[in-house]
Amino acid sequence: MKDIFKDVMGIDGVHGLMVLSDDGSVMISKFSSDFKEEEETLSGINWEPFVTEMRAVKDTELVFDSARFYIKKSEIGFLIVIIGDNAPISMVRLNCEILLPMLSKIQPASKRFGKLLRKKIF
Amino acid sequence: MKPNVLIVDDDQAFLRLIQKDLEGFSESFNVLTAESGAAALDLLRNTYVSFVVSDLRMPGMDGFELLAAVLKTYPDVPVYMMTSYDKPKTKDVVIQSGASGYLKKPFTAIELFGEITKTLNKKAEGGSLHNVTLETFLQLIEMEQQTSTLRIVDKKRQRGGVLFFRDGELMNARIGDQQGKDAAYKILSWSNVSLSIEHHCVFQEKMIDGDLQAILLDAMRAKDELAEENFPEDEEAGADEILLDAPVPDKPAPPKPAPPKPTSPSKPAAPRPSAKVRPAKPEVDLSTLSPVDAIRMRIKNSIGERNGVLDIYPDPGWDGLITQSERIGNAFNCGKLNALYVNRDNSDQFVIVPGEASIAISLTQDAPWDRILSTLG
Repeated sequence: MKDIFKDVMGIDGVHGLMVLSDDGSVMISKFSSDFKEEEETLSGINWEPFVTEMRAVKDTELVFDSARFYIKKSEIGFLIVIIGDNAPISMVRLNCEILLPMLSKIQPASKRFGKLLRKKIF
Repeated sequence: MKPNVLIVDDDQAFLRLIQKDLEGFSESFNVLTAESGAAALDLLRNTYVSFVVSDLRMPGMDGFELLAAVLKTYPDVPVYMMTSYDKPKTKDVVIQSGASGYLKKPFTAIELFGEITKTLNKKAEGGSLHNVTLETFLQLIEMEQQTSTLRIVDKKRQRGGVLFFRDGELMNARIGDQQGKDAAYKILSWSNVSLSIEHHCVFQEKMIDGDLQAILLDAMRAKDELAEENFPEDEEAGADEILLDAPVPDKPAPPKPAPPKPTSPSKPAAPRPSAKVRPAKPEVDLSTLSPVDAIRMRIKNSIGERNGVLDIYPDPGWDGLITQSERIGNAFNCGKLNALYVNRDNSDQFVIVPGEASIAISLTQDAPWDRILSTLG
Protein backbone atom coordinates (compact mmCIF):
# COMPACT_ATOMS: atom_id res chain seq x y z
CA MET A 1 0.00 0.00 0.00
CA LYS A 2 2.79 2.39 0.88
CA ASP A 3 4.11 2.17 -2.70
CA ILE A 4 1.52 4.71 -3.79
CA PHE A 5 3.51 7.29 -1.84
CA LYS A 6 6.76 6.49 -3.64
CA ASP A 7 6.52 9.38 -6.10
CA VAL A 8 5.78 12.02 -3.46
CA MET A 9 8.45 10.67 -1.13
CA GLY A 10 10.94 10.60 -4.01
CA ILE A 11 10.83 14.38 -4.43
CA ASP A 12 13.84 16.19 -3.01
CA GLY A 13 12.99 18.05 0.18
CA VAL A 14 9.92 15.98 1.16
CA HIS A 15 10.37 15.04 4.83
CA GLY A 16 7.32 12.87 5.21
CA LEU A 17 3.61 12.45 4.74
CA MET A 18 0.61 11.13 6.60
CA VAL A 19 -3.04 10.43 5.99
CA LEU A 20 -5.48 11.42 8.72
CA SER A 21 -9.05 10.23 8.97
CA ASP A 22 -11.89 12.73 9.42
CA ASP A 23 -11.72 12.18 13.19
CA GLY A 24 -7.99 12.84 13.33
CA SER A 25 -6.57 9.33 13.61
CA VAL A 26 -3.37 8.66 11.71
CA MET A 27 -4.26 6.08 9.06
CA ILE A 28 -0.84 5.86 7.50
CA SER A 29 2.45 7.70 7.72
CA LYS A 30 5.74 7.57 5.90
CA PHE A 31 8.84 9.62 6.62
CA SER A 32 12.25 9.73 5.00
CA SER A 33 15.08 8.13 6.95
CA ASP A 34 16.37 11.55 8.11
CA PHE A 35 13.05 12.39 9.75
CA LYS A 36 12.22 9.23 11.70
CA GLU A 37 12.27 11.26 14.91
CA GLU A 38 9.43 13.42 13.58
CA GLU A 39 7.47 10.28 12.71
CA GLU A 40 7.77 9.14 16.31
CA THR A 41 6.18 12.37 17.55
CA LEU A 42 3.03 11.64 15.53
CA SER A 43 1.52 9.34 18.14
CA GLY A 44 1.80 12.06 20.79
CA ILE A 45 -0.18 14.62 18.77
CA ASN A 46 -3.91 15.05 19.21
CA TRP A 47 -5.01 15.79 15.66
CA GLU A 48 -8.72 16.05 16.39
CA PRO A 49 -8.87 19.83 17.11
CA PHE A 50 -6.82 20.44 13.98
CA VAL A 51 -9.07 18.42 11.66
CA THR A 52 -12.09 20.08 13.28
CA GLU A 53 -10.74 23.47 12.19
CA MET A 54 -10.08 22.03 8.74
CA ARG A 55 -13.68 20.91 8.17
CA ALA A 56 -14.62 23.62 5.65
CA VAL A 57 -11.21 23.63 3.99
CA LYS A 58 -10.43 21.91 0.67
CA ASP A 59 -6.70 22.46 0.74
CA THR A 60 -4.23 24.55 2.66
CA GLU A 61 -0.53 25.32 2.88
CA LEU A 62 1.08 26.33 6.15
CA VAL A 63 4.36 28.22 5.77
CA PHE A 64 6.65 28.00 8.80
CA ASP A 65 10.19 29.32 9.24
CA SER A 66 11.80 26.00 8.39
CA ALA A 67 9.10 23.85 6.79
CA ARG A 68 5.87 23.89 4.89
CA PHE A 69 2.80 21.68 5.37
CA TYR A 70 0.82 20.91 2.22
CA ILE A 71 -2.63 19.60 3.17
CA LYS A 72 -5.37 18.30 0.89
CA LYS A 73 -8.78 17.01 1.79
CA SER A 74 -9.60 13.62 0.29
CA GLU A 75 -12.57 11.26 0.37
CA ILE A 76 -11.21 9.53 3.44
CA GLY A 77 -9.74 12.45 5.38
CA PHE A 78 -6.62 14.57 4.91
CA LEU A 79 -3.33 14.06 3.14
CA ILE A 80 -0.53 16.02 4.85
CA VAL A 81 2.89 16.39 3.28
CA ILE A 82 5.72 18.01 5.24
CA ILE A 83 8.39 19.58 3.09
CA GLY A 84 11.54 21.62 3.54
CA ASP A 85 12.13 25.17 2.33
CA ASN A 86 13.92 24.10 -0.81
CA ALA A 87 11.42 21.48 -2.02
CA PRO A 88 9.87 22.03 -5.47
CA ILE A 89 6.35 22.80 -4.29
CA SER A 90 4.78 22.56 -7.76
CA MET A 91 6.08 19.01 -8.12
CA VAL A 92 4.64 18.17 -4.70
CA ARG A 93 1.24 19.62 -5.68
CA LEU A 94 1.25 17.68 -8.95
CA ASN A 95 2.09 14.38 -7.30
CA CYS A 96 -0.50 14.92 -4.57
CA GLU A 97 -3.20 15.59 -7.18
CA ILE A 98 -2.25 12.28 -8.78
CA LEU A 99 -2.10 10.48 -5.45
CA LEU A 100 -5.44 11.72 -4.11
CA PRO A 101 -7.79 9.32 -5.99
CA MET A 102 -5.67 6.37 -4.82
CA LEU A 103 -6.17 7.25 -1.17
CA SER A 104 -9.71 5.89 -1.21
CA LYS A 105 -8.12 2.42 -1.31
CA ILE A 106 -6.81 2.94 2.20
CA GLN A 107 -9.22 1.63 4.77
CA PRO A 108 -9.21 2.33 8.48
CA ALA A 109 -7.69 -0.43 10.58
CA SER A 110 -11.09 -1.29 12.09
CA LYS A 111 -12.64 -1.96 8.67
CA ARG A 112 -9.71 -4.11 7.59
CA PHE A 113 -10.07 -6.13 10.77
CA GLY A 114 -13.80 -6.50 10.18
CA LYS A 115 -13.21 -7.83 6.69
CA LEU A 116 -10.77 -10.39 8.03
CA LEU A 117 -13.28 -11.55 10.61
CA ARG A 118 -16.03 -11.87 8.01
CA LYS A 119 -13.73 -14.01 5.86
CA LYS A 120 -13.03 -16.33 8.79
CA ILE A 121 -16.66 -16.65 9.77
CA PHE A 122 -18.20 -17.18 6.38
CA MET B 1 18.50 35.11 -38.14
CA LYS B 2 16.45 31.99 -37.48
CA PRO B 3 14.51 31.41 -34.25
CA ASN B 4 16.26 29.23 -31.66
CA VAL B 5 14.27 26.41 -30.10
CA LEU B 6 15.70 25.07 -26.84
CA ILE B 7 14.99 21.50 -25.78
CA VAL B 8 15.81 20.57 -22.17
CA ASP B 9 16.04 17.00 -20.96
CA ASP B 10 18.45 15.04 -18.78
CA ASP B 11 18.07 12.07 -21.16
CA GLN B 12 20.97 12.54 -23.58
CA ALA B 13 19.75 9.79 -25.90
CA PHE B 14 16.37 11.55 -26.25
CA LEU B 15 18.09 14.87 -26.98
CA ARG B 16 20.27 13.32 -29.71
CA LEU B 17 17.23 11.61 -31.23
CA ILE B 18 14.95 14.66 -31.28
CA GLN B 19 17.75 16.87 -32.57
CA LYS B 20 18.32 14.43 -35.45
CA ASP B 21 14.57 14.20 -36.15
CA LEU B 22 14.27 17.98 -36.25
CA GLU B 23 17.15 18.35 -38.73
CA GLY B 24 14.54 18.18 -41.47
CA PHE B 25 13.13 21.49 -40.26
CA SER B 26 16.45 23.32 -40.07
CA GLU B 27 15.21 25.82 -42.65
CA SER B 28 12.70 27.06 -40.08
CA PHE B 29 14.60 27.13 -36.78
CA ASN B 30 17.79 26.14 -34.99
CA VAL B 31 17.62 23.48 -32.31
CA LEU B 32 19.61 24.03 -29.11
CA THR B 33 19.75 21.44 -26.34
CA ALA B 34 20.49 21.50 -22.61
CA GLU B 35 20.81 18.57 -20.25
CA SER B 36 19.67 20.41 -17.13
CA GLY B 37 17.60 23.37 -16.00
CA ALA B 38 20.76 25.25 -14.99
CA ALA B 39 22.34 24.71 -18.43
CA ALA B 40 19.10 25.92 -20.03
CA LEU B 41 19.18 29.15 -18.00
CA ASP B 42 22.80 29.72 -19.04
CA LEU B 43 21.76 29.39 -22.67
CA LEU B 44 18.81 31.73 -22.20
CA ARG B 45 21.09 34.36 -20.68
CA ASN B 46 23.43 34.38 -23.64
CA THR B 47 21.28 33.45 -26.62
CA TYR B 48 17.98 34.76 -27.94
CA VAL B 49 15.65 31.78 -27.51
CA SER B 50 12.17 31.83 -29.03
CA PHE B 51 10.69 28.62 -27.65
CA VAL B 52 11.55 26.25 -24.80
CA VAL B 53 10.49 22.62 -24.44
CA SER B 54 11.45 21.07 -21.13
CA ASP B 55 11.08 17.68 -19.54
CA LEU B 56 9.11 17.77 -16.28
CA ARG B 57 11.18 15.43 -14.18
CA MET B 58 14.88 16.14 -14.10
CA PRO B 59 17.43 15.82 -11.30
CA GLY B 60 18.43 19.10 -9.66
CA MET B 61 16.28 21.83 -11.14
CA ASP B 62 13.09 20.15 -12.38
CA GLY B 63 10.81 21.36 -15.16
CA PHE B 64 8.57 23.34 -12.79
CA GLU B 65 11.52 25.25 -11.36
CA LEU B 66 12.85 25.99 -14.82
CA LEU B 67 9.37 27.14 -15.86
CA ALA B 68 9.15 29.48 -12.85
CA ALA B 69 12.61 30.92 -13.64
CA VAL B 70 11.73 31.51 -17.30
CA LEU B 71 8.38 33.11 -16.40
CA LYS B 72 10.19 35.49 -14.06
CA THR B 73 13.11 36.54 -16.25
CA TYR B 74 11.98 35.79 -19.81
CA PRO B 75 8.18 36.14 -19.55
CA ASP B 76 7.74 36.47 -23.31
CA VAL B 77 9.37 33.11 -24.06
CA PRO B 78 6.78 30.31 -24.29
CA VAL B 79 7.61 27.11 -22.41
CA TYR B 80 6.15 23.73 -23.28
CA MET B 81 6.46 20.88 -20.83
CA MET B 82 6.92 17.30 -21.94
CA THR B 83 6.69 14.19 -19.85
CA SER B 84 6.18 10.48 -20.01
CA TYR B 85 4.72 10.83 -16.53
CA ASP B 86 1.28 11.51 -17.91
CA LYS B 87 -1.41 11.17 -15.27
CA PRO B 88 -4.96 12.58 -15.37
CA LYS B 89 -4.11 15.81 -13.54
CA THR B 90 -0.63 16.38 -14.91
CA LYS B 91 -1.67 18.55 -17.83
CA ASP B 92 -3.94 20.74 -15.65
CA VAL B 93 -1.21 21.35 -13.07
CA VAL B 94 1.39 22.07 -15.76
CA ILE B 95 -0.84 24.61 -17.54
CA GLN B 96 -1.89 26.20 -14.23
CA SER B 97 1.80 26.66 -13.46
CA GLY B 98 2.14 28.92 -16.49
CA ALA B 99 3.31 26.58 -19.25
CA SER B 100 2.14 27.45 -22.77
CA GLY B 101 1.56 23.84 -23.70
CA TYR B 102 2.01 20.22 -22.83
CA LEU B 103 3.39 17.28 -24.78
CA LYS B 104 3.03 13.68 -23.73
CA LYS B 105 6.05 11.52 -24.45
CA PRO B 106 6.60 9.82 -26.78
CA PHE B 107 5.79 12.31 -29.53
CA THR B 108 7.00 12.62 -33.08
CA ALA B 109 9.16 15.37 -34.53
CA ILE B 110 6.17 16.35 -36.70
CA GLU B 111 4.01 16.89 -33.60
CA LEU B 112 6.69 19.02 -31.97
CA PHE B 113 7.21 20.94 -35.21
CA GLY B 114 3.43 21.59 -35.29
CA GLU B 115 3.47 23.06 -31.77
CA ILE B 116 6.55 25.19 -32.51
CA THR B 117 4.98 26.45 -35.76
CA LYS B 118 1.71 27.31 -34.03
CA THR B 119 3.50 29.23 -31.28
CA LEU B 120 5.96 31.09 -33.50
CA ASN B 121 3.16 32.07 -35.87
CA LYS B 122 1.26 33.54 -32.93
CA LYS B 123 4.33 35.51 -31.87
CA ALA B 124 4.36 37.20 -35.27
CA GLU B 125 0.58 37.46 -35.71
CA GLY B 126 0.83 41.20 -36.32
CA GLY B 127 3.27 40.69 -39.17
CA SER B 128 6.93 41.50 -39.69
CA LEU B 129 8.79 44.56 -40.87
CA HIS B 130 12.25 44.68 -42.36
CA ASN B 131 14.76 47.51 -42.41
CA VAL B 132 12.51 49.82 -40.42
CA THR B 133 13.36 53.00 -38.57
CA LEU B 134 12.56 51.93 -35.05
CA GLU B 135 11.95 55.43 -33.64
CA THR B 136 9.29 56.17 -36.24
CA PHE B 137 7.56 52.87 -35.77
CA LEU B 138 7.48 53.18 -31.97
CA GLN B 139 5.96 56.64 -32.18
CA LEU B 140 3.23 55.12 -34.28
CA ILE B 141 2.62 52.43 -31.63
CA GLU B 142 2.39 55.15 -28.98
CA MET B 143 0.14 57.35 -31.09
CA GLU B 144 -2.29 54.50 -31.83
CA GLN B 145 -2.11 53.31 -28.21
CA GLN B 146 -1.40 49.76 -29.31
CA THR B 147 -0.77 46.79 -27.05
CA SER B 148 1.97 44.64 -28.49
CA THR B 149 5.19 42.75 -27.97
CA LEU B 150 7.85 43.71 -30.50
CA ARG B 151 10.68 41.26 -31.10
CA ILE B 152 13.54 43.17 -32.62
CA VAL B 153 16.61 41.90 -34.44
CA ASP B 154 19.73 43.99 -34.71
CA LYS B 155 20.85 42.79 -38.12
CA LYS B 156 24.31 44.27 -37.78
CA ARG B 157 25.24 42.23 -34.75
CA GLN B 158 22.73 39.37 -35.00
CA ARG B 159 21.21 39.89 -31.59
CA GLY B 160 17.63 40.14 -30.42
CA GLY B 161 15.62 42.11 -27.90
CA VAL B 162 12.00 42.61 -26.91
CA LEU B 163 9.92 45.73 -26.27
CA PHE B 164 6.59 45.50 -24.45
CA PHE B 165 3.83 48.04 -25.07
CA ARG B 166 0.44 48.33 -23.38
CA ASP B 167 -2.01 50.92 -24.64
CA GLY B 168 0.87 52.72 -26.35
CA GLU B 169 3.03 52.91 -23.21
CA LEU B 170 6.45 51.29 -23.07
CA MET B 171 6.01 48.88 -20.16
CA ASN B 172 9.32 47.02 -20.25
CA ALA B 173 12.19 45.86 -22.44
CA ARG B 174 14.39 42.79 -22.38
CA ILE B 175 17.74 41.70 -23.78
CA GLY B 176 18.89 38.33 -22.42
CA ASP B 177 18.20 38.49 -18.70
CA GLN B 178 18.45 42.30 -18.58
CA GLN B 179 15.15 44.17 -18.24
CA GLY B 180 14.04 47.76 -17.75
CA LYS B 181 15.27 51.11 -18.98
CA ASP B 182 18.86 50.02 -19.70
CA ALA B 183 17.62 47.21 -21.94
CA ALA B 184 15.29 49.69 -23.69
CA TYR B 185 18.17 52.13 -24.34
CA LYS B 186 20.26 49.36 -25.88
CA ILE B 187 17.49 48.17 -28.18
CA LEU B 188 16.52 51.69 -29.22
CA SER B 189 20.12 52.47 -30.11
CA TRP B 190 20.19 49.74 -32.76
CA SER B 191 20.16 50.76 -36.41
CA ASN B 192 18.88 48.67 -39.28
CA VAL B 193 16.49 46.40 -37.45
CA SER B 194 13.78 43.96 -38.40
CA LEU B 195 10.88 43.30 -36.12
CA SER B 196 7.89 41.02 -35.62
CA ILE B 197 4.70 42.02 -33.85
CA GLU B 198 2.52 40.08 -31.41
CA HIS B 199 -0.74 41.71 -30.28
CA HIS B 200 -0.23 40.86 -26.63
CA CYS B 201 1.79 42.14 -23.69
CA VAL B 202 2.64 40.01 -20.66
CA PHE B 203 3.36 43.03 -18.47
CA GLN B 204 0.46 44.60 -16.60
CA GLU B 205 2.68 46.90 -14.59
CA LYS B 206 4.86 49.64 -16.08
CA MET B 207 8.48 48.72 -15.32
CA ILE B 208 10.00 51.69 -17.14
CA ASP B 209 9.21 55.13 -15.78
CA GLY B 210 9.24 57.97 -18.24
CA ASP B 211 7.81 59.13 -21.49
CA LEU B 212 8.67 57.26 -24.70
CA GLN B 213 9.84 60.48 -26.33
CA ALA B 214 12.39 61.14 -23.58
CA ILE B 215 13.62 57.55 -23.70
CA LEU B 216 13.95 57.78 -27.48
CA LEU B 217 15.99 60.94 -27.20
CA ASP B 218 18.39 59.34 -24.73
CA ALA B 219 18.67 56.32 -27.00
CA MET B 220 19.44 58.60 -29.96
CA ARG B 221 22.32 60.04 -28.00
CA ALA B 222 23.63 56.54 -27.28
CA LYS B 223 23.23 55.68 -30.95
CA ASP B 224 25.27 58.73 -31.99
CA GLU B 225 28.02 57.69 -29.61
CA LEU B 226 28.04 54.23 -31.12
CA ALA B 227 28.17 55.68 -34.64
CA GLU B 228 31.39 57.42 -33.69
CA GLU B 229 32.93 54.01 -33.22
CA ASN B 230 32.52 53.57 -37.01
CA PHE B 231 31.21 50.06 -37.29
CA PRO B 232 31.40 48.91 -40.93
CA GLU B 233 27.92 48.81 -42.40
CA ASP B 234 26.71 45.33 -43.23
CA GLU B 235 25.03 44.57 -46.49
CA GLU B 236 21.31 44.84 -46.01
CA ALA B 237 19.65 41.50 -45.61
CA GLY B 238 17.09 40.41 -48.20
CA ALA B 239 13.42 40.87 -47.51
CA ASP B 240 12.91 37.09 -47.47
CA GLU B 241 15.21 36.64 -44.48
CA ILE B 242 13.69 34.61 -41.66
CA LEU B 243 13.18 36.70 -38.58
CA LEU B 244 13.32 35.67 -34.97
CA ASP B 245 9.90 34.23 -34.23
CA ALA B 246 8.75 34.78 -37.81
CA PRO B 247 6.10 32.39 -39.09
CA VAL B 248 7.68 29.21 -40.39
CA PRO B 249 7.58 28.90 -44.16
CA ASP B 250 5.01 26.16 -44.72
CA LYS B 251 2.17 28.41 -43.55
CA PRO B 252 0.90 31.52 -45.23
CA ALA B 253 2.55 34.65 -43.92
CA PRO B 254 0.30 36.91 -41.85
CA PRO B 255 -0.73 40.18 -43.45
CA LYS B 256 1.90 42.83 -43.11
CA PRO B 257 0.81 45.96 -41.34
CA ALA B 258 0.80 49.18 -43.26
CA PRO B 259 4.22 50.84 -43.09
CA PRO B 260 4.50 53.86 -40.85
CA LYS B 261 3.39 57.07 -42.48
CA PRO B 262 6.29 59.10 -43.88
CA THR B 263 4.79 62.24 -42.38
CA SER B 264 6.30 61.36 -39.02
CA PRO B 265 9.72 62.84 -38.42
CA SER B 266 12.60 60.39 -38.67
CA LYS B 267 13.89 61.64 -35.36
CA PRO B 268 11.68 62.09 -32.35
CA ALA B 269 10.39 65.46 -31.41
CA ALA B 270 11.61 67.14 -28.27
CA PRO B 271 10.15 65.68 -25.11
CA ARG B 272 6.73 67.01 -24.35
CA PRO B 273 4.95 67.13 -21.04
CA SER B 274 2.81 64.08 -20.66
CA ALA B 275 0.23 63.08 -18.12
CA LYS B 276 1.47 59.50 -18.55
CA VAL B 277 4.81 60.19 -16.90
CA ARG B 278 4.85 58.79 -13.43
CA PRO B 279 6.93 60.46 -10.76
CA ALA B 280 9.56 58.32 -9.05
CA LYS B 281 7.96 56.48 -6.18
CA PRO B 282 9.27 57.49 -2.76
CA GLU B 283 10.43 54.64 -0.53
CA VAL B 284 7.78 53.86 2.07
CA ASP B 285 8.80 52.71 5.53
CA LEU B 286 6.52 49.70 6.09
CA SER B 287 6.92 49.92 9.89
CA THR B 288 5.02 53.22 9.89
CA LEU B 289 1.97 51.65 8.23
CA SER B 290 -0.86 49.73 9.83
CA PRO B 291 -0.50 45.91 9.49
CA VAL B 292 -3.20 45.87 6.80
CA ASP B 293 -1.57 48.67 4.78
CA ALA B 294 1.89 47.14 5.21
CA ILE B 295 0.63 43.83 3.78
CA ARG B 296 -1.13 45.66 0.94
CA MET B 297 2.12 47.52 0.13
CA ARG B 298 4.27 44.36 0.23
CA ILE B 299 1.94 42.60 -2.20
CA LYS B 300 1.80 45.61 -4.49
CA ASN B 301 5.58 46.02 -4.50
CA SER B 302 6.13 42.37 -5.23
CA ILE B 303 3.34 41.58 -7.71
CA GLY B 304 1.94 44.88 -8.90
CA GLU B 305 -1.50 46.43 -8.96
CA ARG B 306 -3.25 43.51 -10.64
CA ASN B 307 -2.60 41.01 -7.90
CA GLY B 308 -6.01 39.40 -7.46
CA VAL B 309 -6.54 40.79 -3.95
CA LEU B 310 -10.22 41.47 -3.23
CA ASP B 311 -9.83 42.74 0.33
CA ILE B 312 -7.45 42.77 3.29
CA TYR B 313 -8.92 42.94 6.78
CA PRO B 314 -8.42 41.78 10.36
CA ASP B 315 -10.44 38.59 10.86
CA PRO B 316 -10.37 36.77 14.22
CA GLY B 317 -12.43 34.02 12.60
CA TRP B 318 -9.16 32.34 11.56
CA ASP B 319 -7.66 32.30 15.06
CA GLY B 320 -8.76 28.71 15.72
CA LEU B 321 -7.04 27.34 12.61
CA ILE B 322 -3.93 29.43 13.33
CA THR B 323 -3.73 28.18 16.94
CA GLN B 324 -4.05 24.56 15.83
CA SER B 325 -1.55 25.01 12.98
CA GLU B 326 0.98 26.57 15.36
CA ARG B 327 0.51 23.66 17.78
CA ILE B 328 1.20 21.14 15.02
CA GLY B 329 4.18 23.17 13.78
CA ASN B 330 5.65 23.28 17.29
CA ALA B 331 5.34 19.51 17.61
CA PHE B 332 7.54 19.18 14.52
CA ASN B 333 9.94 22.03 15.49
CA CYS B 334 9.08 23.99 12.34
CA GLY B 335 9.58 27.46 13.84
CA LYS B 336 7.19 30.37 13.50
CA LEU B 337 4.04 30.17 11.39
CA ASN B 338 4.41 33.00 8.86
CA ALA B 339 1.41 32.60 6.58
CA LEU B 340 -1.31 30.18 5.48
CA TYR B 341 -3.07 29.64 2.20
CA VAL B 342 -6.63 28.36 2.57
CA ASN B 343 -8.91 27.16 -0.22
CA ARG B 344 -12.36 26.55 1.18
CA ASP B 345 -14.93 24.01 0.02
CA ASN B 346 -16.90 26.80 -1.64
CA SER B 347 -13.72 27.71 -3.58
CA ASP B 348 -13.19 31.00 -1.73
CA GLN B 349 -9.48 31.42 -1.26
CA PHE B 350 -7.50 33.36 1.30
CA VAL B 351 -3.98 33.98 2.47
CA ILE B 352 -3.92 34.47 6.23
CA VAL B 353 -1.18 36.27 8.12
CA PRO B 354 -1.00 35.44 11.85
CA GLY B 355 -0.29 38.26 14.26
CA GLU B 356 -1.79 40.07 17.22
CA ALA B 357 -4.88 40.22 15.05
CA SER B 358 -5.04 37.65 12.26
CA ILE B 359 -5.27 39.33 8.88
CA ALA B 360 -7.20 37.76 6.04
CA ILE B 361 -6.48 38.49 2.39
CA SER B 362 -9.39 37.41 0.22
CA LEU B 363 -8.45 36.57 -3.34
CA THR B 364 -10.04 36.22 -6.75
CA GLN B 365 -10.20 32.78 -8.34
CA ASP B 366 -7.26 33.50 -10.65
CA ALA B 367 -5.11 35.35 -8.12
CA PRO B 368 -1.41 34.37 -8.02
CA TRP B 369 -1.86 33.06 -4.49
CA ASP B 370 1.39 31.12 -4.44
CA ARG B 371 3.33 34.31 -5.21
CA ILE B 372 1.44 36.16 -2.50
CA LEU B 373 2.18 33.32 -0.09
CA SER B 374 5.89 33.44 -1.01
CA THR B 375 5.91 37.21 -0.50
CA LEU B 376 4.35 37.02 2.95
CA GLY B 377 5.76 33.63 4.05
